[in-house]
Formats: sequence, C-alpha cells, structure tokens
Amino acid sequence: MPDEYNQKNTPLEAQSSETMSGSSGSTTDIDYVRPAEVPEQDLYHGHSFITKWVFCQDAKVIGIQYFLTAVFTGIVGLILSWLMRLQLGFPELVPFITAEHYYQFVTMHGMIMIVYFLTALFLGGFGNYLVPLMVGARDMVFPYVNMVSFWMFFIAVCVLMASFFVPGGPTGAGWTLYPPQAILPGSPGSGIGIILMLVSLSLFVIGFTMGGLNYLITILQARTRGMTLMRMPLTIWGIFTATALAMLAFPALLVSCIMMTLDKVLETSFFMPAIIQAGEVLDYGGGSPVLFQHLFWFFGHPEVYIVALPAFGIVSDLISVHARKNIFGYRMMVWAIVGIGALSFFVWAHHMYVSGMNPWFGFFFATTTLIIAVPTALKVYNWIITLFKANIRMNTVMLFCLGFIVTFVNGGITGIFLGNVAVDIPLSDTYFVIAHFHMVMGIAPLMVIMGAVYHWFPLVTGRMLNERLGKWHFWFTFLGAYSIYFPMHYLGFIGVPRRYFEMYDSPYVTSATGLNEFITVAALIVGISQFIFIYNIITSLKMGKPAGKNPWKANSLEWLTHEVPPTHGNWGENLPVVHRWPYDFNVPGAKEDYITQTTAPSEVLGAEVEKT
Amino acid sequence: MSDHTLDKLPGGYKGMAADMSSDQTAFKGVQWGKTMMWIFLLSDTFIFSCFLISYMKGRASTVVDWPNTSEVFSLHVGDVPVPLLLIAIMTFVLITSSGTMALAVKYGYERNRKMCAWLILATAIGGLTFVGMQAFEWSKLIHEGVRPWENPFGAKQFGSFFFMITGFHGTHVSIGVIFLFIFARKTFRGDFDTGKRGFFTTMKSDYVAIEILGLYWHFVDLVWVFIFAFFYLW
Amino acid sequence: MDETQNKAQGSTHKIGIYLWIWGLLFVLSFCSYMVDWFAFQGLLRWSLIVIFMLLKAGLIMAFFMHLFWERYALVNVLLWPMTAIACFIVLMAAEAQYTVFTRAFYFFVGG
Repeated sequence: MPDEYNQKNTPLEAQSSETMSGSSGSTTDIDYVRPAEVPEQDLYHGHSFITKWVFCQDAKVIGIQYFLTAVFTGIVGLILSWLMRLQLGFPELVPFITAEHYYQFVTMHGMIMIVYFLTALFLGGFGNYLVPLMVGARDMVFPYVNMVSFWMFFIAVCVLMASFFVPGGPTGAGWTLYPPQAILPGSPGSGIGIILMLVSLSLFVIGFTMGGLNYLITILQARTRGMTLMRMPLTIWGIFTATALAMLAFPALLVSCIMMTLDKVLETSFFMPAIIQAGEVLDYGGGSPVLFQHLFWFFGHPEVYIVALPAFGIVSDLISVHARKNIFGYRMMVWAIVGIGALSFFVWAHHMYVSGMNPWFGFFFATTTLIIAVPTALKVYNWIITLFKANIRMNTVMLFCLGFIVTFVNGGITGIFLGNVAVDIPLSDTYFVIAHFHMVMGIAPLMVIMGAVYHWFPLVTGRMLNERLGKWHFWFTFLGAYSIYFPMHYLGFIGVPRRYFEMYDSPYVTSATGLNEFITVAALIVGISQFIFIYNIITSLKMGKPAGKNPWKANSLEWLTHEVPPTHGNWGENLPVVHRWPYDFNVPGAKEDYITQTTAPSEVLGAEVEKT
Repeated sequence: MSDHTLDKLPGGYKGMAADMSSDQTAFKGVQWGKTMMWIFLLSDTFIFSCFLISYMKGRASTVVDWPNTSEVFSLHVGDVPVPLLLIAIMTFVLITSSGTMALAVKYGYERNRKMCAWLILATAIGGLTFVGMQAFEWSKLIHEGVRPWENPFGAKQFGSFFFMITGFHGTHVSIGVIFLFIFARKTFRGDFDTGKRGFFTTMKSDYVAIEILGLYWHFVDLVWVFIFAFFYLW
Repeated sequence: MDETQNKAQGSTHKIGIYLWIWGLLFVLSFCSYMVDWFAFQGLLRWSLIVIFMLLKAGLIMAFFMHLFWERYALVNVLLWPMTAIACFIVLMAAEAQYTVFTRAFYFFVGG
C-alpha cells in the first residue's frame, strides 16, 4: 500500500508561558497565543478500503467502529432484558426460559450493558470521536495503538458472544461473578461459559488500556495552541477523568479475572474455601471469597463513575449549548468531576455491606459514600442554575438533558439511602437496588447518550436527525423508563428479592403480580420504541435535512473544522488557535449570541467576556 | 521542547501550577511516548499492587502455616543449605541489567550509538539470565512437589501465589527481553540516527524510544524489589 | 526529530551518578539479603525489609527512571494515585485479621 506522510515537520521554537512573558510579555497584542511546543503530528493516510475503513488509524472512524460494535452488544443486552422481564411478568409463559437460562440472561445483560455497552460507547465511541476534535489535535497521539485497541475490543465482544454457543451456555453467576458459585458446577455455564467471560474481560481490559493511554496523552500532551486545561469543554474533562479512573481500576478487574481463571482451570484456591459438594469434599481450601468481592468492587465502583463522568461532562455541554448560556460554575464543575473521580477509589465496599466483611468497614465506607454525594449534588445544582432564566431551546437534545437530570436526581437520592449501612441491609438484594442503579447508571447515562447522538449526528454525517421522531422517541423512553423503574422502588420496599427466577406462591406474588406485569409491558414498549431511534438514524443518513456548518451555533472546536464532516487530520492546513472557553453564549455587547473558541479577542472588543 | 528552555521554567510546586495551567502540554518537555509509558507503568503498578495485596490477604488469613521461605528457596552449596541463594543471585543480575540499561539511555542521548547498542545487548543478556534462573527455580520447586493447587510445605496458597506472581513478573521480563533484543538490533543498524520508520506503526524511530524501553525495564526491576521483599524475605 | 538533537546538546547526567546509584543498589540488596542470613525475626525483620525495599525502590525511581529530574507535574500525577493503593492495603490488612478471627471463631465456637 502506498504511504504518504505530512512532510511539514518544521521545527518550531519551543517556548513556555513563563519564557513568553519574559521575552515578549511587553507586547500589547491581545490576540497573542504562544507558539507551538511540539512539532506537527506525523499521520499515516490510508488509501485502500481496508486501511480507510477496516484497519483504520483515524480516531473518528475508530470512534464510529466502537459506537456500532457497542450498540450491537447493547441490542443483545436489550433483548436479554426483554426475556427476563417476560419471565418475571408472566412466569412460564415462554417455555424455553428455564431458571438456568434466566440466570444466564441476567448475567450477560448486566455485563454487556455496563462494560461492553456503556463503557465502550462513552470512552471508545464518544471519546475517540470527540477528544482529538475538541482539544484541537489532528488525531489521537498513537493512531496505530488506537486501531489495535478497537480490534482487541472487537475480539473481546466476539469471545463474549461465543459463550452463547458453547456447551453449557454463558455463565449464569450474576454480573458480579462472585466465587465460589461462579465456577462450581451448580451454577449454569460454570464450565466453558465462565472461562470465556473471564478471557473476554481480560481482552477488554488490555484493549481498553491501549485506547485509554491514547485519550489521556492526547488530552494531556497534544492540545492545540491556547487550549489550557481550564478551557477544555466539560465533555473532555468527563472523558479524561473517566479514562484515568479506568486506567487505575481495570487492573483490579484484570487481577481478579486472572485469579479466578486459575481457580477454575488449575484448581488453585485464591477465592475458594473448603467446599463440600453433594457429600464430596472438593480439592479447594483456604481461599477467601470476600477477597474477590473487594477486588471486584475496587474496580466496580470506579466503573460506575467511568460510565457516569462522561455523561456528566457531555450533558453539561449539551445543556449549555441548547440553553444558550454559559455553564454555571465551570471551575466548580471541573473540580467536582476530579473530586468524584478521586473519591471513587475510597468507597468500593458500600456494595458489600451484607457480604460478611469486617463490620467496622461500614463506618468508613458509609462516610466516604456520603462525602462523594457532595460534589455530585453540586453538579446537579449547577445544571439547574444553568437552566435558570436561560434561553432554552426545547428540542430533542434538551429534552434528553432534562430527562437526565430528573432520572439522575432520582437515582442519586436512592443512592444516599443505600449508602447507609442500616438502610442498606434490609434493602439490599431487593428490587430497590435494581431500581436505584438502573435509574442512576442505566437510564441517566442512556439519556445523555441519546441526547449526544441527536447533538453530534449532524457533525458525523452532515445531516440532522428528524426532530418529530426524536420527540416521540424521547417521550416513549422517558415515560416508559419511569414506568419500569419507579414501581420497582415499591417492590423493593415490600421486600421482593432480586435475582429470583420466580416467586411461586410466596406472599409477594399476590401483591406484586399486577405491578410485575405492568413493568414487563412497559419494558417491551420502551425496548421497541428504541427502534424509532434506529429507524431515525438510518433514514436520516440519506434523507435528513443537510446540517451545514455548526447547526447548533456551538462554540467548541469540533464544529469549527474546515470540512463538515471533518476529514482525516481534522483541521486542514493549520491547527486552530484557541482564545477562550467554549461557553461564551449571550455575552453582553457581542453581536451574535455565541463566540466560538477560535474567535480572537480583537474581533469581539465590545463584548464583556469572562476571562478564561 | 529543549532542555535549554525547560531550565527557564519555574521549578517545584510553582512550576507545577504553571505547567498545569498552561496550554498544549501538561508535562513540559516530556514526549508523547514517554508520557504513555509512565501512565502505563502507573496502571501496571496497580496490577502488581493488586496481586501483592491479594497475596497479603491470602497469606494473612490462611489457617494453615505458611512455609518458611528461606528454607524452601535455599540451595545446597556442597552440603550446606544457603538460604535464598538463587534469589539473591537473581536480584543481583536484575540490578546489574538495570544499571546497564540506565547507562544505555545515557549513551543514547549522547548519540554514542555503539556504546548504547552494546549496553542494551548486555541488558538483554542479563534479562535472559534472569528468566533462565527463574525457569530453574520453577522446575526445582515443581520437582519438590509444589504445584499451583497444592504445596507439601504448608498452605496451598503458597504455591498458587508463587507461580502466579513470579509468573506474571517473569512474563514482563520476557517481553522486556524480546524488546531489548529488537532495540539492540535497531541501534546497531542505526535506526535511531536515521529516523527509520517503524514496521508496524510507520512512525519515525527516535532515541527517546530507548529511554521509554529503559523506563519499562527499570519498572520490572522495581517490581522485583517488592516481590523480593514481600514474597521471599517476609 | 528535533527533541533529541536538543537533548544531545548538553544535559545528560554525569556517569558518576549512575555508578553511585548502581553501587548503592547492590549494597542495599546485600543488606536485605543479610536480614534473612542473620535470621532476624519479628518487628526488626519486617521494618528492615520495608526500609531497604523502599530505599531501593526510591533510588531506582528517582535516578534510573529520572523521576528526580522530572518536573513536579509528572511526579505528582504518578505518586498521588498510590494513596488509593495505600488505602486498599490498610483495609485488606484489617480484612485479613477479621477473616482469621471469623475462621477461628466458627471453628472453636461454632456457628
């Protein structure tokens, strides 16, 4: 294949902010931005179909590849949730849903949705597409590694999906994969299924590490001239912090996967205590199951924020753009994101209050959990204050943002219930927990994803999505999701346990049957209404209204490329130069209601902009 | 960014504040590849920390006695058992190779191609010796009946953690050795002087790559320091 | 690229510093080996092991990995995450004590 490189690696004199103010600080040029520190990036331009679309090194194509793969797994997860709901609402209606199959669906639904769908979609999909564009880089700093990262993810998904077709089926241990039951013959898929799951997770971690290094280094070391950390859109802050968490949290998952694989394959006893099974003493002995839980949640809790922080960041940008107002308390938002990220490593065992761990840990983890609620609440206040007296455009994107705030507050408040040991103990392992985490890390991030797709679709394809279908999609999703999860809080309060295949004649059944049927019907409707969204995307690809440049009149760099949609290398001849933050909306004294990040101060002399 | 301009920047925490609030780069004068290696090593540190924490938890909570490591890992010189002899030699070999690597990085930056290449080769051979001795140690223990799933000297977890942790570390060393040989060849060939493009990545070769490899190699040594202290000596 | 050419113009570190650190590492390794040789026990053994270990790790990181000469931004980014590990270590040590306690309790007292 022919190679072609940018031959413009002209040496640029390196300067720092300090030497700048020393040597040329006397200049009165208000548009001055110090020169570039690093030379132009060397890019590999693919020419054949394979190098352009399959093994592509362009972060934007990789982002789309990640997005489509993640959406595919997400649809699998959605179908699994339908099957579970059918069993719960109408027991024994579908003959092939046995108890074994039910547990396999639960497990695969959870793992797919959290790791292979949400994480991959936010960081792999949005991260790859938006990071280089929003910080003003030509591409990710290591395009080749980035490509390998996607293909590792792809293989991980293939391995995961393969487990549906092996003897015994996929693992049915619950998405937390707690030993000892995960690898003992009693649970479904404890043979090949669990091994494939562990291998797939390990591959995912390896692939994600490659991608994550790219996002981090691009944000830290490859920003364009004038782009300080405190001028980055909050989307980038969210993705950045989430990636940093991933780099530090996934190791614990990898370690627990390796150790459990050894427990399964070599019969080591890392997590396996002495076990008598059906009267027979197994070879295991002396291991500690609670150790796995600690390792898993040392990964698992940051994982919650790996999903939530990009959502926080993206929704801040969407709200600001569509409410035509700067985000309230930008710096507070940044520090809240960073603070949540840091604290998320000190709260993990609040998932384990009933696990039989050291009882004194309850004090520590309940305290840290309540502390982490503070920056989270700050963010909610700031979104609401941003909306207050703003010039809100009630389009689909804004609807999804408002839907996010409502569901997130709902899920967050139930999180405060569950963070307290005394409240958690009766509520854990009931539907209250299901309701809580689906609200806070299922529906809320999904609202953001959908809003983000409506927002950035014009950038990726050059066409708008259909607004009318979008509003239908929103109301179906929002009201439907509420009808699913709101009643579940009640189910939890009356004590209906989670992860039960069927209630049979227990007293719960009589009082909860109607509600369960209602939830199932709602779940089916919500699921089907997602196909409105897919239909909208497919038809708009060809028939959508042409978007033109910057249809939302946003300020951030991704809308300011020479060509829309942006091409490989992003910026044409010269990299953009940034003069301000991306939130200069409705500035008093400015002609337009927005000032893009590349607008030089001398062009908007009369405007009373914030100093950023 | 050259060192010349770097020296003019403020140092210490004042410099940190200035760097973090500046545009373009947060780590002034640190190349992309080197930043990547550092962050990767941070992530890898978490992996090894999780292994060692699991080991701590496993060892501290077992009810069966933990074997006396200085007996288990002793070698007989003549008829006298010398405790931890092999481990001590392995430690010395690894530190030696770490030192040659540090010098290789230095000569690389001084563009002393020959010296740099020979030192990398020496490092690679040191690493290979280490892996060889580890293989010997493994076969000796296996010969004595230690397995990942059982252990004649006491707690089962001893065998499990031993093979897993040293195995994971040994894998790191082996990967490092492979890269060291590749880099020795590249240096002898002069890739870093001519800026030859990489086979896979198609990016230009640069002497920074030797420092990046050096970081990895020192990290492997660093991890061994902890394994030596916690697994063998404790 | 230009970066190394600039780097080559001057400030690589003197060879003496590497040889010194190298020597120190040998000495410290020898010392930690001696801890086992003289079969120190109890708190003395553990504290000596940890001290020698931390000294060795510190020397390798500071000089061989050049962290001593790096700017504080990088150093801080690399070292602060270790607080999470420190927290994990402390809590798992407590957890191990509790596991032993429960094992003993249920063995002797019964459930």
